[in-house]
Amino acid sequence: MMSMMANRTFVRRAIGVALIVAALLAQRFSGFFAQELIAEAAILGIFTLSLDLLATCGLVSFGHAGLLGVGAYIFGGMTVLMGLPPALAIIAAVLGGIVISFLVGLLAVRTSGAFFIMVTLAAAEMFYAWGFRSKLFNGADGMGGIPRLDLKPIGLDLDNPEIFALLCIGLCVVVWLLLELVVASPFGRTLAAIRQNPSRVAALGGRVFAYRLAAFTASGAIAALAGAFKVQHTNFISPDLVSWFVSGDVLIALVIGGMGTLVGGPLGAAILVILKEVLSSSFGHWYLFLGAIFAFVALALPRGIVGWLLDMIGRLSQRKAPAGMPGSSAEAEQ
Amino acid sequence: MIALETRNLNKSFGSLQVTQNVNLAFEQGERSAIIGPNGAGKTTFFNLLAGELRPNSGSILFEGRDITSLDSTSRARIGIARSFQRNNLFPDYTVRENLALACALRAGTAPIFWRPMRSLTSAHTEADEVAAQVGLQDSLGATVRNLSYGSQRQLEVALALACRPKILLLDEPTSGMSPEETARMHDLITGLPRTLTVIIIEHDMDIVLDVADKIAVLDYGRVLEQGTPAEIRASKIVRERYLGEDAFGAGGAS
Repeated sequence: MMSMMANRTFVRRAIGVALIVAALLAQRFSGFFAQELIAEAAILGIFTLSLDLLATCGLVSFGHAGLLGVGAYIFGGMTVLMGLPPALAIIAAVLGGIVISFLVGLLAVRTSGAFFIMVTLAAAEMFYAWGFRSKLFNGADGMGGIPRLDLKPIGLDLDNPEIFALLCIGLCVVVWLLLELVVASPFGRTLAAIRQNPSRVAALGGRVFAYRLAAFTASGAIAALAGAFKVQHTNFISPDLVSWFVSGDVLIALVIGGMGTLVGGPLGAAILVILKEVLSSSFGHWYLFLGAIFAFVALALPRGIVGWLLDMIGRLSQRKAPAGMPGSSAEAEQ
Repeated sequence: MIALETRNLNKSFGSLQVTQNVNLAFEQGERSAIIGPNGAGKTTFFNLLAGELRPNSGSILFEGRDITSLDSTSRARIGIARSFQRNNLFPDYTVRENLALACALRAGTAPIFWRPMRSLTSAHTEADEVAAQVGLQDSLGATVRNLSYGSQRQLEVALALACRPKILLLDEPTSGMSPEETARMHDLITGLPRTLTVIIIEHDMDIVLDVADKIAVLDYGRVLEQGTPAEIRASKIVRERYLGEDAFGAGGAS
């Protein structure tokens, strides 16, 4: 039903607005240390959005940290090693993300499912191996002293954690709004059709490969943007940023929040950052607990928190809907 | 003018030869039926025409041009559209969304990423027209996974029609349909414009004999016989091998 579809979009966006309000309230009323967590969650949120855009066409990457790393290393290299202004480095990071993801995508998006997971993982691990040995970037020890964007001319000091956290929230919101636009567009609807039935899209004259490559490239641009801000946040770059742990974290955040819902990613990112903080300060083997929570969510809420909310609200509104409408009665039977 | 032609088309899966030296020509605007027992290679022949399979040897000509090397997407873009024997739809989308997407893909507006889908008014108008053509005008808002099997069959054909093809390949469009739905599909096929070339795989001999200008009988991947319905009806070999003596009287051969 059209109205149900519109309903879902409305609920999704309402959750997004609620999340933004919650983030701004948290930012306004919490202390110095929480600002770091908020910035971390917002940057991870941008990263989850990039993964979710790719998931729209049915592809799940397990090497997305590689694309995050492209942005991170370009930003670190240009600012620290070459002394170029951070603003220029952000643009270069995004462009680099586009170029690298396009090249990796040429190979990767020919596959799907488990093969796609393996190809993306392999590409990221190759990057990790390079970063591990790179003398330029101090190898495994990493490189510090990475500066933040200079917005002092317009009166914003990003070295102030509160202002940096606000900027990251703002950036995450901008990326979210852009992707809301994209998923509702003919291009986004074609991506979702490819997820449902790629061979029929091909039979209707749609170039599935080109659409998937475009989605992978756009996803790479956003991941690289997240990477450029990730290193500004920590002022530090190391190959750990590119490890499969990071690819796993972003996937966990997205699955907890709800894949294919856009807003679910940043929600999952916030939950993951808070959980990590709480668990790591209370337990030694905190990753064990995180794993257990992740397994519970995957089993109990297979469509994530936002997916579960959407289904529940859909069911409630259907009960209220007048009987005999096409679709509603049939769906209620399920 | 010959719209579509196959020359010495061969396809085998391992040692099983499913298409053997098939030479068929389809005139523009003609309605042709491909009939034959199960496993005769009818759907494989369609897959070869639509580009989903590559022949081992032989060639396929579209309006005189060799298209053997084109993939299914390219063939869809030059005007060869097909419906599938098994429903092959977008289950999470409504009927209208399925058809509007097909129209957008055909019109080349699908890559637009800066405007919402609903702003493609012509794709939606066209989607509504195609839905009405197949009798789905009352189910536009229904999600496909909740649709009855018969309605899904109608949508299957509608998706192919939304491509505005020059050649329409229909793979058992009435299979599993109720008698009313079959009658409606029959009317739909007979009502298609005569500029459109239609090739249909069908088991319902009533429809085949009524709709087809020409019939080709496949058997073990080979063209057993081809001709007008009257010629096929009179063919001794077809009666022996496929139709049986009482097939035309009973009106069913499946």
